[in-house]
Amino acid sequence: MYGSNDHSGADRWEKACGSCHKDQVGRMASSQMFTNAGMIAQIQATWEDERPGVAFAAQNGHQFVPDGSELAQVSVAGLDNLSGELYRKFCSRCHLASADNDPTSAGHAAGCAACHFPYGEGDTYQGTDRTVRGQGPHSATHVLRGLPPMGACERCHHRSGRTALTFQGLQDGNNALVPTRRGRPGPVTGSDGRSFTHIAPNVHFEAGMECIDCHTSREVMGDGYAHAGMEGQLEIRCEDCHGDGTRRPQAVKSARESDAPVRESRQYARPMAPGVRAVLTGKGRPYSNVFESDGRVVLATKRTGRLLPSPVITGTPAHTIAGHGRLECSACHSRAVPQCYGCHTSYDKRESSWDFVKDEDAAGGFAETEDVRTLYPFPLAVDGRGRIAPVTPGCQTFVTVIEADGHHSKNESVARYRGKQQMRFAPFYAHNTGRRAVGCSECHGNPTFLGFGQYVVENGAIRSTLLCERNPRKALDGFLSMEAGRVVSYAAISRAGARPLDHDEVLGVLAVNLCLVCHERNDDPIYRARLDYGALDDSLHRRLLADRR
Amino acid sequence: MARWTILCIVGCWLIVVSPVGRAAVAPTAGGPTAASKECLRCHESEGKILTSIMASRSGERAFARRAFGDEGDRFFVESCGGCHVTGCADCHGDDAHRTGRPKDGACLRCHRGYSAGWEYEGRAPREDHERYQRGATSQGERYLTMLPDVHFERGMSCGDCHPMRSLHTGRQGAKGCRDCHRSVATGNPGHAIAGHVEKMECVACHAAWASQEYGTFLVRSKTEAEDDAFSPLPKWGPWRKSGHLKRQDAPPLGLDARGLVAPIRPRYLLFVTDPGRGWENRLLAAEWRAFTPHTVRRGSVACGGCHDNPRRFLLEPDAERLYLLEKDGLTLRSYWNRDGQRVVNGAFLPLARHERMNQKTPEFLRQELRQWQNLLEHAAPRSRR
Repeated sequence: MYGSNDHSGADRWEKACGSCHKDQVGRMASSQMFTNAGMIAQIQATWEDERPGVAFAAQNGHQFVPDGSELAQVSVAGLDNLSGELYRKFCSRCHLASADNDPTSAGHAAGCAACHFPYGEGDTYQGTDRTVRGQGPHSATHVLRGLPPMGACERCHHRSGRTALTFQGLQDGNNALVPTRRGRPGPVTGSDGRSFTHIAPNVHFEAGMECIDCHTSREVMGDGYAHAGMEGQLEIRCEDCHGDGTRRPQAVKSARESDAPVRESRQYARPMAPGVRAVLTGKGRPYSNVFESDGRVVLATKRTGRLLPSPVITGTPAHTIAGHGRLECSACHSRAVPQCYGCHTSYDKRESSWDFVKDEDAAGGFAETEDVRTLYPFPLAVDGRGRIAPVTPGCQTFVTVIEADGHHSKNESVARYRGKQQMRFAPFYAHNTGRRAVGCSECHGNPTFLGFGQYVVENGAIRSTLLCERNPRKALDGFLSMEAGRVVSYAAISRAGARPLDHDEVLGVLAVNLCLVCHERNDDPIYRARLDYGALDDSLHRRLLADRR
Repeated sequence: MARWTILCIVGCWLIVVSPVGRAAVAPTAGGPTAASKECLRCHESEGKILTSIMASRSGERAFARRAFGDEGDRFFVESCGGCHVTGCADCHGDDAHRTGRPKDGACLRCHRGYSAGWEYEGRAPREDHERYQRGATSQGERYLTMLPDVHFERGMSCGDCHPMRSLHTGRQGAKGCRDCHRSVATGNPGHAIAGHVEKMECVACHAAWASQEYGTFLVRSKTEAEDDAFSPLPKWGPWRKSGHLKRQDAPPLGLDARGLVAPIRPRYLLFVTDPGRGWENRLLAAEWRAFTPHTVRRGSVACGGCHDNPRRFLLEPDAERLYLLEKDGLTLRSYWNRDGQRVVNGAFLPLARHERMNQKTPEFLRQELRQWQNLLEHAAPRSRR
């Protein structure tokens, strides 16, 4: 599946794959993996403070937004600024409409073949046909993968958010190239000279699940609408299978053979039969591999048919804590959250690099250096849904622009965002979920989780210890500080409505420590209602707290 | 003072083996240089510094022997070129009478990187890979900007605590914290716990951060082509050097030579790959050292930063491990698990003591509550209740 042999590319897929799979090809044309429109919009917002919505895409296109109105998307080739160039020369390598055949990269074919005929090690053919074995760029085998393997997802999703890595228990931290493997850089090598080390994997991966066991075809390949970003295209949520504090997972009976769960699961190891009570996604659509059985929620892995009972947490003490209703599951159940602090990008007009959209070598080259990576602890903030979620730099970009004559027209410059120069963090589900949650005191008692970075408590204030070299009054690994007793934020959370916790919220989180000191357990009755700090002054507490020395 | 002495001995090791260190001070075999002999004619008593640990590097030699066995001396010669005191001019310059007391820069020329000293001015080593080697330099090395020591902010220099007179007599410092801070501040809830004041070094709480390297790797390739694969890493003599994991937060705690609770850090968890010897990620040393981070602040982390934080004492429960070292081919289970590791100038906190310190005594609970009350009382009131 390469070059003229690849009939699944976007220029031909309607006549090739689309002759049978018209629905899928139609949906793909609007999906974020094909348009990259949300990604481009985020880069425009965070690099140029431009917000034209999803006006630009990887290619021209005629779309419909969820309210039914039409949208003409313009090719990013016409986005004539640094954000356009950054997309075309970096980010667009993972764009599904075009192949990435660089053997040092994690390549993929164009169009449907990117996922359904995935490339393998070194982008070479690894199958049984001796004629082409070891040659590339080719798909790893000639077998069409109706259910894309995790390796196909990993081809792209091992960068940026690195979700395919953290899900499997890998991280590319500091690119230390050690421990070695057979005397070479290791222990697991990635594209572009990167090395991965092992961390505890996602509990779902340990249970035998793959990417496709959670992610539905509709959210991966699109639902036919051009959403404002990746979040709009997503339809699954943890609560779908596990419930939330007050609401159990919802299910609906699929009665007919043409119902989606039955139809979509035909090629699964365990197809759904008419009559199955399919569990519903966050958008109210049925899963094709999650169902109710004898009052329990069960997931069937698509490839192997393994049945995995899903624990439902509704009504449990840990999930009915007053005040925790706003928490995303990932706020407590994330283990490793990759955080890249200090992204120093230089754009040198004297260099040239490949423009993957224009398909040409073009003037201007990017180079990146970093400051620090961490995995844990991680900061929390309010996400675009108004809920408390982990955030990660997205991005802390310092831009240097070197003009053709060698002078620096920008030097470690911080872009304007929402009208002022500031760093950006992004809400982030890192895909490294653990059964064990972050402990109550661990989170409430550690201001790093609030966004102060690593810290000391000094003179009645929280003081960060890892600092921004451009402004040592600010944390490098955070976005909050305390000035004259007030909590001040100096970075934005880059989604509409998203923001750091404010002064009242931070103090609210810290005040819980007044109770947690003695009331350590989450099933303590005091956490079933709003905390009454006045209780510390009642006779019982005064007696208990009296200094008897 | 023994603590300080040992600290200084090992403090030089990393500098000594680093290429920048070799450039800083050329090694000289034998006794005092001719110029130094001239100085000693009048300053005879100061001559002891020329046989002190800063000159002999006995600590680094001993480490090399512990790690490499019989080949330790060879490693030392091959990889440890200099950064030791060879004569008076190393610190006082060529015109010593004009220089007088050395400036901090003279100390930091050696006491930088992973060595004690650099952090005083708010500097921590960066990751080894070239992607992370950016930003400002000090003494030829790139650094991360950290919160400096409060004494540095007040204008104090190295010599204010480490006068030459003490160094000349083979001691590391003339002053400990309590020499100046004779009584502890009573408003601090931590000071109200008798065990804190009696059984802990001040820096156990008041060192705000320390650079920590978990897994120091040396890699030697057989061929130039193989070495090229490691080219983003710095060269150390015939080796490439990398660190598996670095942190710059509050370091773990153990016991120092005085039996007091003190910061400890890896120095070194040394892994070596040398295909010529059949070594792949071979663990040559798993040594920690009690030390004094020069990152003193008035404050500290919250009580929970140590209490109920077993990782801080290298007692990380297996189920809570984030890094799975065995899958990376390492023989250590976890960097924060004391099995197979030791503190060479002290000890890990005995389990019984660890259990005792985590008992929620009424006194502890009162002070922990007071700590949070203090923080909340200093903050501006909430507008929404």
